[in-house]
Amino acid sequence: MTRYVVRRLLLFLPTLWVIATLTFFLMRLAPGGPFNAEREIPQAARAALAQRYGLDRPLAVQYLTFIAGAARLDFGPSYKFPTRQVREIILEGFPVSAELGGWALLVALLAGIPLGIIAAQRRNTAADTAVMAVALAGVSVPGFVLGPLLVLAFSLGLPWLPPALWEGPQSRVLPVLTLAAAYVAYVARLTRAGMLEVLRQDFIRTARAKGLPERVVVLKHALRLGLLPVLSYLGPAAAAIIMGSLVVEQVFAVPGLGRYLVQGAFNRDYTLVMGVVLFYAAFLMALNLLVDLAYAWLDPRVELK
Amino acid sequence: MLSCGMRRSLPWAELALAALLAGCAPGGGRPVQSAAGAPRYFGSVRPPRGDVLRFNNGAEPETIDPALVSGQPDGRLARALFEGLATSDPRTLEPHPGQAARWETSADGLTWTFHLRPGLVWSDGVPLTALDFVWSWLRVLSPATAARNAGLLYAIAGAEGFNRGAVTDPSHVGLAAPDDTTLVVRLASPVPYLLQLAAYPTWLPVPRHAVERWGARWTRPGHLVSNGAFVLERWRQNDRFELVRNPRYRGAARVRLDRIVAYSVDDLSTSSNLYQSGRIDWNTSGYVPSPFVPHLRDKADFRSAPFQAVYFYSMNVTRRPFDDVRVRRALNLAVDREAIARDLLKGTRAPWGRLTPQGYPGYPAPPPLGHDPARAREALAQAGFPGGRGFPRISILFSTSEDHRRIAEAVQAMWTKELGIPVELRNMEWGSTLQAMTTLQYDVARRSWIGDYLDPGTFLEIMRGGDGNNRTGWSDARYDRLLLAARGEADPAARLRLLGRAEALLLADGPVIPIYHYSTVELVKPYVRGIWSNALDTHPLEEVWIDHAWRPGTERRAAELTAMPAAERRHGPMSERMVPLLGHRAMQAPRPPAPAADAASRWAHRP
Repeated sequence: MTRYVVRRLLLFLPTLWVIATLTFFLMRLAPGGPFNAEREIPQAARAALAQRYGLDRPLAVQYLTFIAGAARLDFGPSYKFPTRQVREIILEGFPVSAELGGWALLVALLAGIPLGIIAAQRRNTAADTAVMAVALAGVSVPGFVLGPLLVLAFSLGLPWLPPALWEGPQSRVLPVLTLAAAYVAYVARLTRAGMLEVLRQDFIRTARAKGLPERVVVLKHALRLGLLPVLSYLGPAAAAIIMGSLVVEQVFAVPGLGRYLVQGAFNRDYTLVMGVVLFYAAFLMALNLLVDLAYAWLDPRVELK
Repeated sequence: MLSCGMRRSLPWAELALAALLAGCAPGGGRPVQSAAGAPRYFGSVRPPRGDVLRFNNGAEPETIDPALVSGQPDGRLARALFEGLATSDPRTLEPHPGQAARWETSADGLTWTFHLRPGLVWSDGVPLTALDFVWSWLRVLSPATAARNAGLLYAIAGAEGFNRGAVTDPSHVGLAAPDDTTLVVRLASPVPYLLQLAAYPTWLPVPRHAVERWGARWTRPGHLVSNGAFVLERWRQNDRFELVRNPRYRGAARVRLDRIVAYSVDDLSTSSNLYQSGRIDWNTSGYVPSPFVPHLRDKADFRSAPFQAVYFYSMNVTRRPFDDVRVRRALNLAVDREAIARDLLKGTRAPWGRLTPQGYPGYPAPPPLGHDPARAREALAQAGFPGGRGFPRISILFSTSEDHRRIAEAVQAMWTKELGIPVELRNMEWGSTLQAMTTLQYDVARRSWIGDYLDPGTFLEIMRGGDGNNRTGWSDARYDRLLLAARGEADPAARLRLLGRAEALLLADGPVIPIYHYSTVELVKPYVRGIWSNALDTHPLEEVWIDHAWRPGTERRAAELTAMPAAERRHGPMSERMVPLLGHRAMQAPRPPAPAADAASRWAHRP
């Protein structure tokens, strides 16, 4: 087990290196540079900027400097926001995105799992159809439509909640619901599928034959295995929900990390893009590792090697 | 130049807007006051508790260091924190004494002597002297600072050479501080608009002791020391700035706001939602979605005025057939600006046929370019392409934006129909568009330009041969000579005449196809006083106050009588809605608003 974890962690390094290298060169391939602007800056100033950020040196040197910096978790200052270090931007934005994503994930699980169980237990009934229809709608309606609709209803129509900004508990409600909606749907569908699979198996029949109440059969015996698909989905979902909430962050003016990835690429903010991409990659890999560990814990048939 | 502030319209943001429009457009909103004849407002009109101004400052500022500021949101904060020699009147933009109590000019207009107010201090109590100005301006000009807007200081003798690295000794720059309160500025040539220029953020003084102590991080809260009406308390990226009053400001007794909360919301719909729900008091220009405008026009809190910026196409004269002036003329004459403004922009912007905007008193503006398909065909035939035969396929380059696309499609149709030439559209993301323009890898490109100060020179200079902003390859010795002569001309009227001749030449022969004139569009709650629409869209926040006595229906009367701030008293009561620009008539188009895409181009030159 420990060996497994250590080996996985060691594998992180080459993966991150490949990602860093690809990102570095792909960013340089995009036309233009970080200091282009509609108003041209004088040659001398351009040269001074290039020198300050080491952009006047050969690409190979820039690459090595960058890798050396990344190894020390130091990506340098953002080109676009020169008073801030990339590390600072990540450390300030990530907790916000994590809070938003954490709540959304919690809502998705708390709503999605019960819905999925209900649908599985009463499959092919009206309840099942209703749950799956709602789930389908949740998956289909994107955040940039749902968010404004919720704002329209609960901020502008009924003045209950703030339409945007990240201040106070009330401001969390609409962004969390918007972000959670699609995931509720996924979780419900996965739970339903997983439960249907498990409920057909022999040990469930045995449990029922023992005369256990259906509640115990479902919640104690079936659920543990029925949740495996949800669990394997959880790793990528957590990463996506926490880092990929840029639409929700934009619509609700949430000062999270999600927006920097896209903004940074548009601005040719090399250091910021590098920092955020690597952070995201490491985060995703760490979550996947956690999921694999949880898998082993939930399903005795899985062995970590 | 107000060039940055990265307002980006992502495709989904536009979709979101479309989704919103169905229900959320202001027209569908419920007016707060619907009694017959009473003014109606967009959303809540409950004033904030206390003397606090909350507004959307727009896209996250890149920096608030006055020397480096280039975007509008950045500049707004720099001006709230720092004060220069002169300030501008919030309505007329005419200069008023700021850190300088008075100034005089030599007879030849080349030497300006500023007398600072005695006893000026920074917000930490350190005395502020004339040397601070000298140091701050040399810092802007030093190549190591890499200030984008260093060119705005080129009016100072020796400044250009120092900035370009040709001269390294700062004593060759025409700045001197004979004593603590006297500042002598020697100019390279007479600059009648120097005080206008000196109100620009690049000319603001910065605290040497803080800059040297903290380096690039001196603008962070806790480090930043300022000399303006407010000091920085909080700065959270992509969220907000909080400013509180500076008790050591020279005019602290006059400042009526205790606190300013400037949000950094870059989404137009979000910004308008915040305004409608009463969480911000001022939705600044560029952040009102254009589809809202027709519904908002009749609201009492809606304001619009001509803005000093022009939307135009430029032609790359290093490529055939744009090297032929007859082709350039033909393309220009075939564009029906009126139709674009009327049919595409629904009258929200005024068609425009010149590179310089309106509103320069005494400027003999040349006649605008018109629409004349017959003459266009004639010019094209003279150039060797009768009926468009043999004309190479050309493309119109524009950055991603729905508005740019629609206009480009219209121009494409006009050229194809009137001239019979093959035209295609070429759409790229902003950074790539910019790169293509800078390296002259285009045929025709969409551009815009925002003036820095109220003078036609701020527009005409960009087309000088070899100017970094020219981006057309066009260069004409006669044009450059006229601009040079204007620079050296001491008589302001004669100077403007020279500029007028230069523009006439530019319109006749040059690489520019003007299309429309921008306007500011903003929403200001009725209880907010001291914010006026003007051509530069600058709003000194030290003049702003919250009128707690305001009640729906009472309108301005009561407030004006009881408490009128200095700026308003000087000019007497007047409707805040339509402010003539420097005494000139407002543009003909009734309250022309900026579209959503304007926000982008306005702050970022980039839709």
